[in-house]
Amino acid sequence: MLKDDRAGIEVAERIERSDLAVDTEVIYGVGFEVNDKIMGYEDVIIIDAAKVGYPPGTVTEVTVDDIFTDHNLAISHAVTLGSTLKVGYDLFPDEMPKKLRIFLIEAEDYFEFTRQCSPKVVEAIDRVVALIHRHFTGGTTETTH
Amino acid sequence: MKKIEINPMTRLEGHGKIAIFLDDNGNVDEAFFQVVEFRGFEKFLVGLPIEEVPRTVSTICGVCRGVHFTAAMKASDGVYGVQPTPTARKLRELFFNAHYVEDHAVILYALGLPDFVVGPSAPAAQRNVVGLINVVGAQLGREVLRKRGCAVKIFEMLGGKPNHPVAALPGGWSKTINESERAQIEEWSLELIELSKLTLKVFEEVVLGNPAYMELVTGDMYRVPVNYMATTDADGMLTLYDGTQKVIDVNGNQIASFTGKEYIDHISERVLPWTYLKMPYQKKIGWKGIVDGEGTSLYSVGPLARFNVSKGIPTPLANEEYKKFFATFGGRPVHNILGYHWARAIELLHCSERCLELSRDPEITGSDNRAPLGEVTGEGIGIIEAPRGTLIHHYNTDEKGVVTDANIVVATTHNKGPINLAVRKAAKHFIKNGNVDETILNHVEMAYRPYDLCLGCATHAIRPGSSPIEVTIYDDKKEVVKSLRNF
Repeated sequence: MLKDDRAGIEVAERIERSDLAVDTEVIYGVGFEVNDKIMGYEDVIIIDAAKVGYPPGTVTEVTVDDIFTDHNLAISHAVTLGSTLKVGYDLFPDEMPKKLRIFLIEAEDYFEFTRQCSPKVVEAIDRVVALIHRHFTGGTTETTH
Repeated sequence: MKKIEINPMTRLEGHGKIAIFLDDNGNVDEAFFQVVEFRGFEKFLVGLPIEEVPRTVSTICGVCRGVHFTAAMKASDGVYGVQPTPTARKLRELFFNAHYVEDHAVILYALGLPDFVVGPSAPAAQRNVVGLINVVGAQLGREVLRKRGCAVKIFEMLGGKPNHPVAALPGGWSKTINESERAQIEEWSLELIELSKLTLKVFEEVVLGNPAYMELVTGDMYRVPVNYMATTDADGMLTLYDGTQKVIDVNGNQIASFTGKEYIDHISERVLPWTYLKMPYQKKIGWKGIVDGEGTSLYSVGPLARFNVSKGIPTPLANEEYKKFFATFGGRPVHNILGYHWARAIELLHCSERCLELSRDPEITGSDNRAPLGEVTGEGIGIIEAPRGTLIHHYNTDEKGVVTDANIVVATTHNKGPINLAVRKAAKHFIKNGNVDETILNHVEMAYRPYDLCLGCATHAIRPGSSPIEVTIYDDKKEVVKSLRNF
């Protein structure tokens, strides 16, 4: 509901509406509930809006270690996504996905109450949706910033 | 004057800032806990049908989703002039207690215990849940997460949807359970009791068994004598879903008792220009400033407040721990805020016991899950004890039940004043002669973690105009050279 903050939700909803044969899940948090949802799956893609400092609409692919390195990331949602995933892989290596990709979409505005993302983020959503389709259908999936 | 900032604060919900001002000798002159994030849910809810509000407010926060859902659902009962049926009430309570377990477990293991298990002097990068697992071992970590997962499963089974529940109905609960589901919940609840016992054992071994930590737990550096507010049942015992709100003073004397809309007669919120978070105080005492001790109008909520206000816990295992808690501190009320962590661990056990009790209640599998709606009354107030403390949802609606006004007072808001006092007290104790390092700053941060802050929930009010910002420049004689402000 907070404009660009819903970029990940928008991607999930579009994938769900498409004919791609994958499960989708929208999670409004980054705590252990994330692991509860992804454990047992082989191949998982996580999409989230972020404010990292890149130009709005930039799509960044990161690893679990990338987003675990700074303890100060533990400010906004109790446990960070990095901590959550790290704990998952440390404790349940056999149940966590063998393949995990994490994409961050750089937000421009996440304060206004609206379901409409800003134009650059909408373009980024288009790119990520296409990328996910390619990922699961065997095409090239390099990120284009 | 030198200014130290801890920004952003680590291991809490939302975004906050602590500003510490040193005098010329390098000792703490003043400290402030500031909130700089803002979400504006109260305005956003206007125009929604009240029955949609529980589902919407559950997205205020990814952690506190079940508590806003529950408080708003209770308010929707009021708007439609209806009380839930016995089965609906019990299903709601079961859902709520399971939510407590999963929430308290995360708060303890990921946010509170790392300071003790890993150690307050450990590097910041290790003082987190991963560092905690490195110390206690992967086996225990797996056990805790698997058992906690049982609470999540109850939450999801009853809530009707993963993460953000949808089962709320005015006067009811849409998800009933059959015998097979009941038996499954009973089995999970037994796991939750084991999780709670395990947690109390960890707390006992790591904290209570360590004299250095007990000096912190019982010491004056983390002691904040204020009033306390919490909900009790008809027998004065701790209760979470429903009851009477009571307030005691710093000496433990009851100074107020109220229900529903009467909260307005007892709680005022002072808007402060330096933070988005309003600072509540006891209205009948009047605003006395950010001060503790006898006569203060500030009050705390949450696990420690619930312990101080209630006469006991109505489940046997948790009540034994409750007695041990007060025996250790040697009296009541307990003002030592690190006691919040211990009280939280005991509540974990209480909620697990309640899950088991409710799972064995013959009415839990009933089919009377919805009461007929009454006339729209135009107003509903839902008050519950959220894990972090008393949560108030108050809605006015039009004749069709569409929200025209919303007021949400969350635990972190109630605790704003005491958090300021706690940060100030810890800063004054630990920062001497200008010596500040990471360990010392962590000891200061340890003063707010007991309150289990959720700033994402707390900063929900939109105030007209721009964000209040003040920049003040001091010289070495503490005289203001220049001050810029936009409020």
